[in-house]
Amino acid sequence: MERLADGDRAAFHPVFAVLWPFLRRFAARHLGPGEAEDAAQEALVKIFFRASEFDASRSALAWALGIAAFEIRTARRRRQRRREESPPAEILEEAPDAAPTPEADAMVRDLEATLGEALGALRPEDAETLRLYARGDRPALAAATFRKRVERALARLRAVWRTTDGRP
Amino acid sequence: MDDPETGLKERARRSYEWGRLAGATRRSVLLLPVVGAASLCCSNPGGTLAGGAGLFVLVTFCLWRGQEFRRGVEPGLVAGFVPLLLPVLVQAIGHLCVPGRCLLFPAVCGLGGLAGGVALGILAPHPRDGRGIPFVTACLIAGLAGSVGCLLYGIFGLGVMALGLLLGAGPILAARRA
Repeated sequence: MERLADGDRAAFHPVFAVLWPFLRRFAARHLGPGEAEDAAQEALVKIFFRASEFDASRSALAWALGIAAFEIRTARRRRQRRREESPPAEILEEAPDAAPTPEADAMVRDLEATLGEALGALRPEDAETLRLYARGDRPALAAATFRKRVERALARLRAVWRTTDGRP
Repeated sequence: MDDPETGLKERARRSYEWGRLAGATRRSVLLLPVVGAASLCCSNPGGTLAGGAGLFVLVTFCLWRGQEFRRGVEPGLVAGFVPLLLPVLVQAIGHLCVPGRCLLFPAVCGLGGLAGGVALGILAPHPRDGRGIPFVTACLIAGLAGSVGCLLYGIFGLGVMALGLLLGAGPILAARRA
């Protein structure tokens, strides 16, 4: 990488041969197959684009992984946006008239019970903050203060949820 | 190697070259304000701008190409900036100048060239072991940068500057060789 940053074109092939399989594996560990391939390609192209900026005093691997991790985050955000913008076709077709199945009802009840239990385990101020937030109400507080309280309460709720639901 | 991988390799290669060119241009752009200032002071801005454009292209090329070419850029610019800035400063201050003529002009170019030559002699990579590219690059860049400033005084200023560069760099390079 140092040679490539200096302009040694002969170093291109060895760097490519090492980097490409490595980036593919790294992306595959964090994304689905189609997305992983695209993200790995984008990361590879960006790494080569920025190769002349590489600082030899830093670790080449950490530098390349930083760029790849950014591409993976971008791919995830893109996927999330796609989901938000266009719900899957089957949901659009089924949602308007589909009556909830007994299994779905049971799952919803189970979730509500777990959430109630988690809220009950919180301090009353945190539980009240979250209820207000869920209803879209805001107490007579500065917006930033309320946002901070919501963030803190959500973090505590997540911690309680992990212990009651058993998920990491 | 399968076809998609060859395509990707080509794409990465192009990206590498474009990245180098973008980086080189970003750094060369820093020369433009100095060239602009010199052309504002000059009675013949066309020549100064042509010299500035040549300097910009040469520095961009050397930075993009890298390796031996890149190693001559820094000493060349350091050496060339003395004869570039000195005449511009003297012109801007306006001492000993009458409209259309300045008594210090040839001396300023000579002194700038001499100081730049000393810097070139000290900083430029020595042209030995068949590795003359950094030295030639440094000399070209120093000469072009100096010409941007000394074109303020026409061809005579340019000649005096070149002579100063030679006189400044020659003995030091000879001493380094010994």
